[in-house]
Amino acid sequence: MDQKNEIREITRDVFFATVIRMKMELWRLVQICAVRVEGGYEMSYTFCRNYEMVTLRLHVKEDEEISSITQVYPCAYMQENEAAELFGVKIKNLTVDYRNKLYRIDQETPFKEKG
Amino acid sequence: MNDTKIFAYARTAMKNLFHKPATTSYPFEPAQFPERMRGHIEIDAAECISCGLCMRSCPTGAISVDRTAGTWTINRFDCVQCGSCANLCPKKCLSIVPGYTKPDRHKAKETISLPKKAQPAGGAPQKPAMNPEACVYCTLCAKKCPQGAIEVDRGSRIWKLDAPKCVSCGLCASSCPKKAIEMK
Amino acid sequence: MAKRSIVPFGPQHPVLPEPVHLDLVLEDETVVGAIPSIGFIHRGLEKLVEKRDFKQYVYIAERVCGICSCGHGMGYCESVEHVMGVEVPRRASYLRTIWMEMSRVHSHLLWLGLLADAMGFESLFMESWRLREKILDMFDATTGGRVIFSVNCIGGVLKDMDSSMLSAIARTVDDMEANMAPLLKTFLKDYTVQSRLKGLGVLTREQAILQGAVGPMLRASGEEYDVRMLGYAAYGDLNVEPVTAKAGDAYARCEVRLKEILQSFRLIREAIDKIPEGPISVPVKGNPSGEYFMRIEQPRGEAIYYVKGNGTKNLDRFRLRTPTTSNIPPMVELMKGCQLADVPLIILTIDPCISCTER
Repeated sequence: MDQKNEIREITRDVFFATVIRMKMELWRLVQICAVRVEGGYEMSYTFCRNYEMVTLRLHVKEDEEISSITQVYPCAYMQENEAAELFGVKIKNLTVDYRNKLYRIDQETPFKEKG
Repeated sequence: MNDTKIFAYARTAMKNLFHKPATTSYPFEPAQFPERMRGHIEIDAAECISCGLCMRSCPTGAISVDRTAGTWTINRFDCVQCGSCANLCPKKCLSIVPGYTKPDRHKAKETISLPKKAQPAGGAPQKPAMNPEACVYCTLCAKKCPQGAIEVDRGSRIWKLDAPKCVSCGLCASSCPKKAIEMK
Repeated sequence: MAKRSIVPFGPQHPVLPEPVHLDLVLEDETVVGAIPSIGFIHRGLEKLVEKRDFKQYVYIAERVCGICSCGHGMGYCESVEHVMGVEVPRRASYLRTIWMEMSRVHSHLLWLGLLADAMGFESLFMESWRLREKILDMFDATTGGRVIFSVNCIGGVLKDMDSSMLSAIARTVDDMEANMAPLLKTFLKDYTVQSRLKGLGVLTREQAILQGAVGPMLRASGEEYDVRMLGYAAYGDLNVEPVTAKAGDAYARCEVRLKEILQSFRLIREAIDKIPEGPISVPVKGNPSGEYFMRIEQPRGEAIYYVKGNGTKNLDRFRLRTPTTSNIPPMVELMKGCQLADVPLIILTIDPCISCTER
């Protein structure tokens, strides 16, 4: 069985509408991943339905604030907190905000700088 | 699956009462290790050419090789028995053998001094030299080199040795299909 | 209104050897809310990918967790192989599949033991772990390690199994299947077990999907989703079918895992029958460049491996989303409305692996 596994670039203005539609169509939130790129971050939100997998790719500038998707998918809080804490992605409106205390580590945003 | 039983386990429990235990009486009975068990690393010091590949491949940095002093050091308490060094060793002088490291009060390093290799009269270690007439630029030597010291470009027919990187292991010479490399 | 109180639970708790802390909001004895907190053992292994060679990282990936070790090594290798376009020899894929299915048996038996222990059923716990010991011995004989196998490498596997080893595995599996009977009977039919598990922590199918549950958790709620159906490694050649249950309660999750053990026995035998001869690894040239999201079915559920290479020997990013990360939010949902005494059981039914989660 070979099933769809695609990465779709998406802009911020349609991002929320897409996520809400995903929820209406009963897609399951699979994972949220932050990647450090030059001058900002790449946020990947992966969703699954049956065996199809779609990743929404959002480009975020370093000091840009993005809104949490926890209002749509409450289960996202764990991974969004992780991205915020380890990479320093500015995520606002989290329903459960650990305020950098999810992992009990000394260093702030240890994954932000390379090497 | 909806039928419910009471005392469903009673029979097994009774049986277990009269069976001999599933455990062995270690340490009175010695532990049996299978042949493949990854217990600890052993080195055949006579074969080692101190190329340092094990040191660089160790994920935990438990091994250090000092070429000038001629020693091979392992911190057995840092070693995670992954076998990475034994898999990569070009001379196959490292092996992973059964048996655990003994417990200790301190994390101690174990240093093994490598026997001095007989060196030719000049004292300088031998370096590979390529005979351009025999070489077919097959790049096999570059692939075999544990240090990546040889660079071969088939298109422009270039064979280049990065001499400071070379550890004189002789793998290039022994692997050359045309016998175009000589250790000088 | 009943008086509210907050009871701290964990990170050290008698029934739960996993460092998870929960703040339970209680009204009398009923839980009305729970806030999970983890982070006691964060190791930052994902970051280490920038410092270690991508081939060397296999050894680190498989040390993320003790129970799903084989799966993590395999998931990492398969994702890097996908990025690099490496075709793994069939025999290597089969060997990976056999070890993976053996891991599933050992993980589920471990879980069954812990579940029995959480219920206070000591002898059932020992029975499960005695059976698990046989599969651990097989791991020791075939890979050299009882827990961490170190057999995966980019491009194949490091160790081959000869026909005597394969037939020893087949014999062990037959033997274990015969010895599963008392476990099946007790877990599925015993009155004591049923009175603890039935109707506890019910997760409906829709809830399970929207809360992001994976693995046996999702399948126990009636959703047919098993990543093995995608046919990675040698699963494409084998007859895999998702094991599901309808009820979505703790009993259903136990039932799914028990049936998965039996299914794994069948898959191991099938793989041993079909395994082709041939090389076990191919040499890998160059460095990975590109990205890929790989998913594999771990014993605890779907795990996601994301690899992003930049053409050098160090990867840009490796992300591992473990099954437990996804299963914690539904677990917290399940706790609302349950009794305080049932909290350890509910936590256990997701088969938590906090060490995996914190990487």
